[in-house]
Amino acid sequence: MERVIKQQSKMKTAKQLSFQTDKRKRQMVPYLFVLPNFVIFFTFIVVPAFVGLYYSFTDYDGLSEMNFVGIENYKEVFHSSEYWNIFANTFKYAFAVVPLIFICSLGIAILLIKEIKAKGFFRAIFYWPTMISAIIVGVAWKWIFGDSFGVLNYLIESLGFTPIKWLSDPVFANITVVVGTIWARIGFFMVIFMAGLQSIPTSYYEAAQMDGASKFKMFWSITLPLLKPTSFLVLILLLIESFKQYPLVLALTGGGPAKETTFLVQYIYEFGFKKGELGYASAMSVVLFVVIVIFTVIQFKWTKGGTID
Amino acid sequence: MKKMLRMLTMSLLAAVLLIGVVACSDSSKSSGTGKSDGKKVTLDFLWFTDGVEGDVMRDIIKDYQASNKNVEVKLIEVAYQDYTTKLKTMIAGGKPPALARVTDTGDFANQALDLAPYVGGVDKFTSQFLPSIKPYYVKKDKIIATPMDVTANGIIYNKTLFKKAGVDVPQSPDDVWTWDEFENAIKQVKEKGGAKYGLLVDFTPHRYSTLLYEFGGSIFTKDGSAPAINNKNGVVALDYFKKLHKDGIIPESVWLGGENPNNLFRSGTAAAHLAGNWMLSNYKDINNFEWGVTYLPKGEIRSSVPGGKYVMGFQKTGVEKETADFIKYLATKEVNAKFNQDSLFLSARKDNNELNYSFGKEMFKVFSNELENTPEVAATDWGNQVVISKVTTDIRDAVVEVLSGGESSKEAMDKVAEKLKAAIADSK
Repeated sequence: MERVIKQQSKMKTAKQLSFQTDKRKRQMVPYLFVLPNFVIFFTFIVVPAFVGLYYSFTDYDGLSEMNFVGIENYKEVFHSSEYWNIFANTFKYAFAVVPLIFICSLGIAILLIKEIKAKGFFRAIFYWPTMISAIIVGVAWKWIFGDSFGVLNYLIESLGFTPIKWLSDPVFANITVVVGTIWARIGFFMVIFMAGLQSIPTSYYEAAQMDGASKFKMFWSITLPLLKPTSFLVLILLLIESFKQYPLVLALTGGGPAKETTFLVQYIYEFGFKKGELGYASAMSVVLFVVIVIFTVIQFKWTKGGTID
Repeated sequence: MKKMLRMLTMSLLAAVLLIGVVACSDSSKSSGTGKSDGKKVTLDFLWFTDGVEGDVMRDIIKDYQASNKNVEVKLIEVAYQDYTTKLKTMIAGGKPPALARVTDTGDFANQALDLAPYVGGVDKFTSQFLPSIKPYYVKKDKIIATPMDVTANGIIYNKTLFKKAGVDVPQSPDDVWTWDEFENAIKQVKEKGGAKYGLLVDFTPHRYSTLLYEFGGSIFTKDGSAPAINNKNGVVALDYFKKLHKDGIIPESVWLGGENPNNLFRSGTAAAHLAGNWMLSNYKDINNFEWGVTYLPKGEIRSSVPGGKYVMGFQKTGVEKETADFIKYLATKEVNAKFNQDSLFLSARKDNNELNYSFGKEMFKVFSNELENTPEVAATDWGNQVVISKVTTDIRDAVVEVLSGGESSKEAMDKVAEKLKAAIADSK
């Protein structure tokens, strides 16, 4: 009898152990699935970020031996009027692009979520530009807005008017860049908004309708508050994207005329790879990173992390 | 069963990751691979092409490989826009190519393979080439590259439009236009010939500097110890360049709008293009209008700007000996003649100054004449590669700033002079 009890208790312990091992294994699975992404993120984002931070304290030029220069590069960044001019260009661009894309993509999402004819076709039309490489978008818009070769100026001239200096006039060049960006990115954010809109229960609208609420009232009091988490995500993504704008502008205006459409990433790239001042370029990148973090934190606090009140 | 499935999934995932990592890695230690012990050696040759010279180089490589069975030269073509960045990245990553075609030799002087021990010494080697380009490829008694061709700036014009306007271009060096005469000619071609655009000038300080030298200016003082770009002549040259833009002689869309002057000229709507002789091979296939080459207008003096392209070998590739041997082959009279004749370039070798070009023989004579009438300072300025390569972007940006009305010529050139001073100090 005693032996049987002992055997049973042994079996119980073995079962418990096996269950615990299984549980541990089960707990491991999600980490294993995340591992590939983590390896890529760590190798291509985290490591280079720390290497960049290290470079920012050196005079590394990419070719010669590097020397530690302390905070000299940072001092230079803060004293460079050109850097802050470029920073202002980037800020103005973000200031124009973020609200415009936000409003346009939300508007289109609201329109395309309704039961209209050829809904799928319109959704595809608005989404397609997102799938095109930014460089191609820049080149395509250059063919439209080009001062000499542009389709638009050709039409303007054909109608007997004086062609517009779309790319060689600072104001028009900025407008061109903003228009190109909106066209290219609106589809992506439209899809995010559509997902957000679809998650709002229709019963809220039905109840509001029964109470006699106007469409604007419903939008203001139901749609907007319930879209807060989505709006927060869109704003953060848009802000980061606009501060990092580079390929589209490079292909469209090359940063000109006279650096009027040169934004921070292009400026950093030119210093790092064209002028060979990798140390200084890294310091500028670190400053840009800090600025983006500050803006994101402000936005986070302002929107209370996108939580619904 | 479930366990097995999970194991299988995990194994597959691990395999995919491993394959990815292996595929992304490069097993070779440098971009030139192999060992110098008679085994097959691969020489990576970074290259950019303006016209047809890529195809010509491929033929040359084929000939070389036929008699050097253990060597494979792999031509890697990169767009010129990204070329320097690509080369710098390769060197910075510790994987320089075995060879590269370069224009700004100063950028890579410290990483270049010294060819002197392989070619029989500096004097013997340099005596074969035009003396004016020596600063480009000889640094402190080291031969850092071999010259392949020399370039000159000149005027390529749309013959059809000039004919239509009834404007004759100068036919000999004795009757070259002054800039005022040239301006009037362009205005006539625009009015009577129907040219939409006047003179196209490439968006580079090298092409702009043609005007600088013609107005008696220079980038450095004669001994290269100080900047001279902001002296009176330098400022007058830039003022005049701005005036040409304001008067519509030069379209603003190139220097301010980033438009490609080659495309504009090819469209047949531009009167002339201030470009380099390498554009002859590029424009060779134009058949919707006639074009030709004429003499650059003169300012205080006549001037072009010499330049050229070089082939450089790199240190730490493990295939230095084979690299040097191939460069030696490229530098020979026969190979150099083939390269320049078939590519429609001007040779850097003294004994290849009269090549039997299949196209535009007369045009080459005009470019050669431009070089003969170029002051020495233009060669020394651009030959000061270690310094000049650090400030070319600044010069270009300063010119753009003036053209857009942001600064006066004096202010912009003073700023450039400061940068030049810093670059000179850095180089010492």
